[in-house]
Amino acid sequence: MAVTGRGASVRGMTLADAWRTFLTATKLGWAIEANWSDPFLFAVYTMAKPLAAAGILVVMFQVITGGQNPEFLQFLIVGSALWNVVFGVMSGLVQSILEDRERYRMIKYVVVTPTSLFPFLLGRSLARVAVSFVAVVLTMVVGVLFLGVDLQPNLVYLIPATVLGVTAVIALGVFMAGWCLSLRQEAWSYPEAIAGALYLVSGAIFPIDILPTILHPIAYLSPTTWWLEASRRGLLGHGSPGAIGGLSDEAVMLILLVSTAVVVPVALAAFAWFMRRARRAGLLDMTTGS
Amino acid sequence: MNRYASTPGMNPREAAEWSTGRIIRSNLRAVIGRAYPRVIGLTREPSWLFFEIFLPFLAVSAFVFVYRALEAPEAYVGFVVLGGAMTAFWLNVVWMMAAQFYWEKDQGNLELYFTAPMHLMSILAGMAIGGLVMTSSRALAVIGIGSLLYGVTYDIQQPLLLAGVFLLTMIPLYGMGMLFASLFLLWGREAFHLAQLLQEPIYFLGGVNFPLRAIGPVAGVVMATLPLGVGLDAMRQLVFADSGVAGVLPVGTEVLILAVMGVVFIVAARLALGYLETLARREGRLTLRWQ
Repeated sequence: MAVTGRGASVRGMTLADAWRTFLTATKLGWAIEANWSDPFLFAVYTMAKPLAAAGILVVMFQVITGGQNPEFLQFLIVGSALWNVVFGVMSGLVQSILEDRERYRMIKYVVVTPTSLFPFLLGRSLARVAVSFVAVVLTMVVGVLFLGVDLQPNLVYLIPATVLGVTAVIALGVFMAGWCLSLRQEAWSYPEAIAGALYLVSGAIFPIDILPTILHPIAYLSPTTWWLEASRRGLLGHGSPGAIGGLSDEAVMLILLVSTAVVVPVALAAFAWFMRRARRAGLLDMTTGS
Repeated sequence: MNRYASTPGMNPREAAEWSTGRIIRSNLRAVIGRAYPRVIGLTREPSWLFFEIFLPFLAVSAFVFVYRALEAPEAYVGFVVLGGAMTAFWLNVVWMMAAQFYWEKDQGNLELYFTAPMHLMSILAGMAIGGLVMTSSRALAVIGIGSLLYGVTYDIQQPLLLAGVFLLTMIPLYGMGMLFASLFLLWGREAFHLAQLLQEPIYFLGGVNFPLRAIGPVAGVVMATLPLGVGLDAMRQLVFADSGVAGVLPVGTEVLILAVMGVVFIVAARLALGYLETLARREGRLTLRWQ
């Protein structure tokens, strides 16, 4: 008999099966991410981008200040390093889902299996996220060894800030992945555009006081602003220059907690809605040729 | 007896023997045909317009605000805006020249290029001309919006020389794109990663956001290899003559370097393309998708 009762468990729907899906997708994602080249070129690729991005800021700083104001340099290095995670998570989640739909054309097969797309998506993008964390560590190490960045880590503050911040960033990535699934054109450009816009308003490389006043509310609403601020306090022992630096550590952590608590359920609900819409509109096996 | 299409030849060998005029006309048609979608895309693909102006503009804004936070002289804001405009050309070279043959292979067009009666350089020239026209509009938009929003002032005393330097920069820049188009195809499967690798490191080495002189002796290497850096340094000297920030070399010397680079990159692209064509015909592997 092929009929199953309403209460019977469906294979692929248990936590263990979701975990297996996640692991399989992780292996697949790592293979796709890493085996396009020999290890040397892959290492160069992993290191060159974040170091060059930080290098641009360091040279700009040196040209103008001649090395004065080391606190601002630390602000730049930490912000530039941590931003790799935002970009890695966003582009990882979105590009995984778009590659599987547009290029490898197998997302429709994943969707029709009795498992959830969600653990697959997380596992599939994990390699890119892992590479972004390598970039963070690498930039920090270079900052400490060669640029005089004085790390004074406060783990009691840094660990919860990192957990909350990365959770919020993953939620933003999940939202973007769902959104891009429902787009017909130029979906590939969206993560870069959104990450770029957040880069501008989150105080990643300059204090948000410098922004035009009209952008301040967006900056204060973004969880990435509070994650960067909390991380700076956890890593350097002091906050950013400007108004946000005047807040107490507890207030910054509380705002990060609240913004994460808002973003996560909204992102998950939006992803579910985008998936339902994609199923109904036949977008899962669509190729845009973009 | 069969005739072969519009030629008077009575067999395939005779039909394949074209006059020089016909070869030139055919290749010119290929150039125009490949440039056409990029030029016409100026008006037909608004999402391209948005992203190709918006993304460089975001980066420009971020670096402008960094300079403002550092209380830098206003000339540096102008450096960033000009650098952002030139970034649009570099992105076009990387994504729509260098990676293009790879995308064409994935879409199944590359084998058509190899079998069509034209030279592949005509396809690359068409891509370059179309890309140049398309990107010029984006670059002008970045300069216009950036200048208005951030109050950039220019001091251009030699506009003709500036126009000449710009055009002279584009030749080696797109020549480099032509060369990379073949190399990307030869090097591996992931044009995406290679294109990514040619962004921030090149922005750093090319002095897109700061005077090139600031990177010290490395600027000498840039002068010998990277047309973006040489052209940008020369253009900054001409556009911000009153900034007081010196270039790496005098403009005249940089013009000479760009001219030599133009010849070198076009010849290298021609050689790489010949090698690629030989491989494609001998092994058949280069026209297989996902290889």
